[in-house]
Amino acid sequence: MPIFDDQISASTLPLYDHWCHSLTFQVSRLFHLLTLQHRQSDYFVKAEGSLLSSRLADSKIFITFLLALITLSSCGFKSTLVEPNTLRINIGAEPPGLDWHVATDSTSFDVVSNIMVGLTQYRADLSCAPCCATNWEVLDSGKRYIFHLDPKALWSDGQSVKASDFEYAWRRLLDPKTGAQYAFFLYDVQNAFEFNSGKITDARLVGVKALDEQTLEVKLKKPAAYFIYLTAFCPTFPQRKDLIEKWGDRWTQADHIVTNGPFLLDQWRHEYKIELTCNEHYFQGAPALKRIKMFMIPEQATAFALYENNELDYVDNRSFSTPDLERYRHSSEYRTTLLLRNNYIGFNVTKPPFDNVKVRQAVSMAIDRTVFPKIRGRGEIPATSWIPPGLLGYDAKSGLEYNPEKARALLAEAGYPGGNNFPHVELLYPSRNDVRLVVEAVQDQLKRNLKIHISLQNQEWKVYLETLHRDSPPIYRSSWGADFPDPETFMNVFTSHNDNNSTRWKDPHYDDLVSRASAEQNVEKRGQLYEHADRYLCREQVPIAPVFLETQNVMVKPWVKGMELNKLDIQFFRNVSIDESLLHGVHAGDKGVTH
Amino acid sequence: MFSYVLKRFLVALPVLWIIATFTFLLVRVVPGGPFDAEKNLPPQIIANIKAKYHLDKPVHEQYFLYMERLAHGDLGVSYKYVNRTVNDILLDAFPVSLQLGVCGLLLAVAIGVPLGTVAAVNRGRFPDSIAMFLTTVGVSLPGFVVGALLILVFGLYLKILPVALWESSRHMILPSLTLALGPAAYISRLTRASVLEVLEKDWVRTARSKGLSNSATIVKHVLRNALVPVATVLGPLTAILITGSFVVEYIYAVPGMGRFFITAVSNRDYDLIIGTTLIFAVLLIVANAVVDIVYHMLDPRMQTGG
Repeated sequence: MPIFDDQISASTLPLYDHWCHSLTFQVSRLFHLLTLQHRQSDYFVKAEGSLLSSRLADSKIFITFLLALITLSSCGFKSTLVEPNTLRINIGAEPPGLDWHVATDSTSFDVVSNIMVGLTQYRADLSCAPCCATNWEVLDSGKRYIFHLDPKALWSDGQSVKASDFEYAWRRLLDPKTGAQYAFFLYDVQNAFEFNSGKITDARLVGVKALDEQTLEVKLKKPAAYFIYLTAFCPTFPQRKDLIEKWGDRWTQADHIVTNGPFLLDQWRHEYKIELTCNEHYFQGAPALKRIKMFMIPEQATAFALYENNELDYVDNRSFSTPDLERYRHSSEYRTTLLLRNNYIGFNVTKPPFDNVKVRQAVSMAIDRTVFPKIRGRGEIPATSWIPPGLLGYDAKSGLEYNPEKARALLAEAGYPGGNNFPHVELLYPSRNDVRLVVEAVQDQLKRNLKIHISLQNQEWKVYLETLHRDSPPIYRSSWGADFPDPETFMNVFTSHNDNNSTRWKDPHYDDLVSRASAEQNVEKRGQLYEHADRYLCREQVPIAPVFLETQNVMVKPWVKGMELNKLDIQFFRNVSIDESLLHGVHAGDKGVTH
Repeated sequence: MFSYVLKRFLVALPVLWIIATFTFLLVRVVPGGPFDAEKNLPPQIIANIKAKYHLDKPVHEQYFLYMERLAHGDLGVSYKYVNRTVNDILLDAFPVSLQLGVCGLLLAVAIGVPLGTVAAVNRGRFPDSIAMFLTTVGVSLPGFVVGALLILVFGLYLKILPVALWESSRHMILPSLTLALGPAAYISRLTRASVLEVLEKDWVRTARSKGLSNSATIVKHVLRNALVPVATVLGPLTAILITGSFVVEYIYAVPGMGRFFITAVSNRDYDLIIGTTLIFAVLLIVANAVVDIVYHMLDPRMQTGG
């Protein structure tokens, strides 16, 4: 039984640590003395051949090791207490970068979203709320925006957040020298594409301008109804020219970085841990948490063992297996939310047999989507429409419903009655177990419902991506996640000019619908246009068959309050707090709290 | 000795150059590039990124650029980890792997050599059977099974050691043990075979006939000669252990460099792949040179490098 197991509390931690170190020191001294004695006795053994002394020496070593073991167990990992006002989470991997102009991944955004804020910010329902901008005007039928900045908004070094910080940031994002992958998010801004592609070199021609310290003007080349969402997205956050010029590539290091969000980057131990501290001077009020520890634990079983041992307070899909999830599904610690990430089966419409729309429709109708939540076990939502629920234009009936009989009839009409003469095709998917389960289910259903056999081909992730982008196969599995909460982020993917459209489907009618919808300022009309486009995509032309929407599943310790999940899967910790009363008597190592 | 070290150094340089060249070419032949992502980027953005990293230049120009940087000790930049050089990454990760690797190596020797010796001295008897059973288990069980078992027993049930992470010296115990068990079993089998061979020598019989105790004969005469084959495997083993283990680092969330041998390839992080390969090659060369010197110390009849 470890010493002080129940008595220890956070306030006694320093004393406890001191005691542990003292004991270790005493044991080391004892070990040293015994070793000296043993050396002497060893000499004595050699000289006199005394068996008794030899045994005595051995027993001393044994006692020493026993003491060391006791010390080890008493000063064991229980010294890692549940820490007051500290949230400990697992982000699974090293963020590739905290330069929000160059970062493109969710791990980096999990950190950046808590240390930086932009012109606007997401509410819990993902609508846009004022942040650095107190308000904004939409002028010239949606082609010009004027943002009025909050004079209280401060950088962590005390300087005000100025309109020129946004002007500099957006121009830097678009500068070809920055090599920013997400520069295309600003292509709606006047001359942004031209500057980014090197057609013009004068950054001042880009349609973003600081009119004064508190006013930012943005000119778009065409109205974009979704534009306001981009101002809450990490790549459009402001940056400090003076600091980037001073520190060069090293400006994101913990001792150089200056931010304007609710938390500050305190420590970044690469490949291991990031620590954020509370920004006491955050202009919208300091957060309740004093510290956030973001561990980078890649192995699910390890992360979940740490959670069960009270060494992590919050874990998500990255940190547990499906059997772990099953154990906790009915626990009060378990929560789930739908994500704006749709999975689909894609058809290359330029390659037979999927160049025939009836074949595509038949395959889509032969897939029973209800099997996917059962085989993946993470609460997935079956989907037939491309626009996910909760977004403008969503209609559950946009896509083709499961109807094997009709599917067989369509296949027969396409020239393959009973699946006869259907050519051999391979379904391409990335080498991942969860994806393999999905494509095997599709393969099985097509065999049972349409009597056609497709074989499966897996490729390593990067090879798969290259194959898809270079010469996509007749049929493949893919997915798409939203960057901002607007149907545009989904519908634009299958327009003719989009580089992510691996179906090679080009349809001017669809392009026109999406283009009109993206510019439409009337919300109702815009919704109708997207709904129409979604139906055209998933029911009439079917270059893709959406199959299911992913979910985020999390486990949260009872003492963590105010944790809100959102469909974009960005973790905001500003409103999170730790209920200290529930921490009383809880130690790292005490297993499972509420089941 | 100095001339020997100098000779080994001069031989190592072209070896490293060949390794760097082959790795440079091989990584570019592998399908998929560093900037392939789920969201395909517009061509002009790909062009910007390639220009930033000089990947828009012909391969031979990229090669000369890389070699020029390498000659100055610059291992290049990471395409995955923005604003971090390969030198930065390896300098952060290598000390951790070194620490873990040295602990693992010491543990492996501390377990393997006595176990193998005990087994050989008690050949065919109960201790030998036990030792051989343990070594068979040690060799057969992969690291991820050993790691999971140790976490389960010491971390979750007995609760005397941390489950994972890299916070204090206590956090080093389970990863070191996991890392050490396989090599310990291997060293143990090697030591047993070697000790058995030496025990048959005439001079061992002579030492015993002169009245030297069994333990003194083993420690002073047998082990010293029996350790030559063990020292041979310790060279590459040292290089393997101190450059990190992907499995151990993955299971225990240890921030070492072992993971980069795998992730750098899956990310197509070209310079990082070459960097890790070169570091491994350098350590292997150094470790083998040290082994040659140790040979000489163990048995002065052996010529250094001979």
